[in-house]
Amino acid sequence: MSGVPEKVTFWYGCNVVRHGDIIHGAIALLEAAGIEVTPAGGAGYCCGTTKDANLKAADGMARRTVEKFNEHQTGAVVTWCPSCYRHMNSFMGQYTDTQFSLSHFTQILHARRDVLAAKFSHPVRRRVLLHKHFGFHEVDVNPLVEDLLRLIPGLELVETTHASPGHMCSALARIPASLTDATRAVCDDAHATGVDTVATVFHSCQRLLCGLAATEPFVVTNYVNLLCEAMGVPLEDEYTTWKTAGSEEAIIAKVGAERIGKVGERFFKESILPELMRKPSR
Amino acid sequence: MDPLTYTPTAESLRDHLDGFVDDTLARCTRCGKCFEACPMTGYADALKGADGRQVVPGILDLMQNAPGSAQALAWLGVCSQSGRCTSACPEGIDAMKMVRVARISALGARGGAARLPNNEEPKFFQKINAFSDLQLSEDEVKEWQR
Repeated sequence: MSGVPEKVTFWYGCNVVRHGDIIHGAIALLEAAGIEVTPAGGAGYCCGTTKDANLKAADGMARRTVEKFNEHQTGAVVTWCPSCYRHMNSFMGQYTDTQFSLSHFTQILHARRDVLAAKFSHPVRRRVLLHKHFGFHEVDVNPLVEDLLRLIPGLELVETTHASPGHMCSALARIPASLTDATRAVCDDAHATGVDTVATVFHSCQRLLCGLAATEPFVVTNYVNLLCEAMGVPLEDEYTTWKTAGSEEAIIAKVGAERIGKVGERFFKESILPELMRKPSR
Repeated sequence: MDPLTYTPTAESLRDHLDGFVDDTLARCTRCGKCFEACPMTGYADALKGADGRQVVPGILDLMQNAPGSAQALAWLGVCSQSGRCTSACPEGIDAMKMVRVARISALGARGGAARLPNNEEPKFFQKINAFSDLQLSEDEVKEWQR
């Protein structure tokens, strides 16, 4: 298919590491689409977008990441994160030697949707609402994701017109009233349409909305998980399990002593547990 | 689909931002259409009833490391990078980037005084590393993240 590279670096970004299921599912989908994948992400591949107050750090992070991508020699980088895409497009690519093209993950899947459709053989009997934002203007992801979801047998995608500001929910997090409005809009749309599933496009929406499942009559699932379910690829959304566990004790039990030990018990309790206990903004 | 490719036009991030500021200052007509298109202004009390033709000069002022205005700083505070401003600009300026560069400047990163607090998330990278350890295998972290 024209324009789709056969070999890519899949740049999943930083914050999505909260959702191993999304990373594993995205890789499975790219491979199912016939693409050879070199995954890359985490702090070592930061784009530097968080370092607006320190240009030296931002510049250094960007250069290091671009150099690593060049060393991959895939010639093509596919981003998951809209912030990484935006930062590469608006800043990094303007002053570094990028020896690769840049695409967004949704564009690749959409271009290979015929290949993927043939692999969606497991019905997913859900009534689904897609949670949308209108801020990722570089790539119009919402119709791409809707097209992909419509390929899933058994899945009913309801039509909604609401889209929230920002490119994803994290863009609203520092303006609390706007995040509350966006969360309320999701709930109102879900109630009005009677869906059992709200599908998120991006990881920060999944992170900030998944806790709704504890009190609302719907679950919040990333669209990657739905596509993988249709392929018969099981994914466990542990982050949502932790967010909806209900108490610190239950979260600790579900994460388990071994993994908590890996990150350090004190750090887990001081820096991870409060995030997992935080309720959605309503 | 058409993957993007890039040809660098600057030696460093700082040089790139300086060039962007010069270009924006030369092309912006201060018409205020970017501000009018913003879906977030209702979230700042200081922007209630504000006129974009008065707010935008404050943004351009901040980009030059000058004090700007209370309304310009308030606009920076509610920007969610929705991009409506960019679509609205009749001169084809990337107004979303203009606001971002004004914010970078207001944080003191381009040599001027800091006029906004640095609200970078504490322990950001430590948390990224911790969640990586919680969600990925040791081999995945080693092969994918170093």
